[in-house]
Amino acid sequence: MSTFIQTLIVGIRLGSVYALVALGYTMVYGIIRLINFAHGDFIMVGGYTMIFTVPVALALGLPAWAAVAAAAVVCALVGMGTELIAYRPVRKKGNNMTALITAIAMSLFLENLAQAIPAIGPNPKVASQIFAPGGIEIGSVTMEYTTIFTIIISAVVMLLLYWFTQRTRMGRAMRCVAEDKAAATLMGINVNNTILLTFAIGSGLAAVAALMYMAQYPRIYTTMGSLLGLKAFVSAVLGGIGIIPGAVLGGVVIGLVESFTTSYISSSMADTFVFLILIIVLVLKPAGIMGKNVGEKV
Amino acid sequence: MKKYLSILLVLCMVLALAACGGSSDTQESAAEDGAEESSEPIIIGTISPNTGGLAAYGIGVTTGVELAVEEINAAGGILGREVQVITTDDQGDPTECLNAFNSLVAQGVGLIIGSATSGCTSAITDAANEEEICLLSPTATADSLTTEDDYIFRACYADSFQGAIAAAYAKKSGCEKVGVVYCAADVYSKGLYDSFSAACEKYGVEVAAAESTASMDVQDFTNQFAAMVSAGVDLVYAPFYYDVIGPYVVPQARAAGYEGIIMGADGYDGVPDYVVEGADLSAFNDIYWTNHYYPGDTSEKVQSFVTAYEEKFGTTPSAFGATGYDCVYMYKAAIEAAGSAEPSAVRDALADTSAVYDCVTGSFSLDSTGTPIKGAAIISFADGGDKVVTELVEVMQASDLE
Repeated sequence: MSTFIQTLIVGIRLGSVYALVALGYTMVYGIIRLINFAHGDFIMVGGYTMIFTVPVALALGLPAWAAVAAAAVVCALVGMGTELIAYRPVRKKGNNMTALITAIAMSLFLENLAQAIPAIGPNPKVASQIFAPGGIEIGSVTMEYTTIFTIIISAVVMLLLYWFTQRTRMGRAMRCVAEDKAAATLMGINVNNTILLTFAIGSGLAAVAALMYMAQYPRIYTTMGSLLGLKAFVSAVLGGIGIIPGAVLGGVVIGLVESFTTSYISSSMADTFVFLILIIVLVLKPAGIMGKNVGEKV
Repeated sequence: MKKYLSILLVLCMVLALAACGGSSDTQESAAEDGAEESSEPIIIGTISPNTGGLAAYGIGVTTGVELAVEEINAAGGILGREVQVITTDDQGDPTECLNAFNSLVAQGVGLIIGSATSGCTSAITDAANEEEICLLSPTATADSLTTEDDYIFRACYADSFQGAIAAAYAKKSGCEKVGVVYCAADVYSKGLYDSFSAACEKYGVEVAAAESTASMDVQDFTNQFAAMVSAGVDLVYAPFYYDVIGPYVVPQARAAGYEGIIMGADGYDGVPDYVVEGADLSAFNDIYWTNHYYPGDTSEKVQSFVTAYEEKFGTTPSAFGATGYDCVYMYKAAIEAAGSAEPSAVRDALADTSAVYDCVTGSFSLDSTGTPIKGAAIISFADGGDKVVTELVEVMQASDLE
């Protein structure tokens, strides 16, 4: 029984990180039909920003997690910069395929740029402790404070995002643009600004995901975004890409599959099962678990 | 006119190639006829992970080599010839390792020190034998790397010894049930698991649980250690590298409720620099690992090396620095014995099992496969207040394996 609870906790905490990252993929896809492969690398940008800002926050007497504010700003700027410099010009001239290739190029560019910056360099860095060490005993299993915070913060961020897209003016504008760009323009919505805002929010979320990730797995390296991004992308597709609750569900499912495979089937086959599940779900339900007919995105 | 232009272009290319050659000591084409020209420098190439996740290993090896070469040149070189080094980087990646090897061969290098990890070294052993180039690895411990009658040698013990020493230590400290967390896909981790479990069987220690990971740098080891807790073991052998031990393995193992001994191998060298700041350091109590040498060793050889290294680089040398340093002196002894720096002659000298090398990591001779016969230092970690401290427990010899 304690193995089961332990496995469940590990699965949920992995899943909540995947879900946060998947939200970024899903938001951008929902609005411009672009799979932003650079999103995983925004996590890396957030992680490295915090390597530098956590000591500053501590020196100012703030808790370590307050450093996420600076990271969110940096990530949002990088996200908006990527949209303005790379994606927007390509979208005007090319088609979906050129945009996709640009996204892959952007991902490699960010990874290599980070390696070339002397203060970052190609060697991994170990982060500071973000939340208090220790945890709560549940039966014979210890639930770390870090895990509890990861789950709570992820849930709060997801609810806020859902509320934002459903209830606020800007959120509605985002959904309008996702549904029909031309009609949105006619309704007086500034499409370009709305897309830029989507990138800002999606990338800002990457900073929060980076905080959660480094609190749990305190090792930051320039290629950390690639496998993490891939799994988050799988989560988004699994849940139904373009649908916010779908990304959350997909993330949690992937996290649980990974954890339970490790505990109960074969610990060296965790990734195999993650991608196997993806194939099975897509064969049975090509639009993803929560996917419906096309057109109802974001 | 055209002719001059083409010559000029060729010269430009040669210069550009020489510039690509890497680090500080670039030179024109290396000695093709080797020993014939006694004034020509002897060139030693190094391959190590100077960047990437295992950069601490590469930095150790290159600095150790640099110190040894500087000392040798100051004392008049080898056979009166100056020693030069060409440094290459494999980033801890087997493909890059082969690229680095090929670039050294293209530059005419016949004596190579490298690489640091077994995974990388296994990618170049065939090529080295085929090209008849001496390969002397400072720290690649996998058994399969060196065989009799080949060009591959090393300055460290092999995993069959290292794993058996760990098992002998487990037996000695009274453990009856042990477990293993390892990576089945990695030649180093898997090799150590095999030798450790075989030795445990020999000593009557039960291996009650074995769990694998998908790769050497997965992020979550919690479930594996939870399985160790439910198996009720008092020692877990976890052969991974320092980059995951400090931030992931140890804290997660303790959080999963595992309180027993964690035992590791030479991959643990460098862990104290990879510990999360502000984390609970008591997690690092009861961790033991086998290493090639201990910098606190009071022998004169070790102390003079450590002092010289600290003076030059300002840090305490890791085992990678020590074995890198030893590799250069092993080449020196072999070249002097052969009277030539020809790869085939140096190979024959290294293959002589009666030669004794008096090195920092021990005084040893090589066995018929080219692996040193020497002891292993058992080192422990402990919570030292604000950092993780290391301490020598004991040095175990091959005779302790009986």
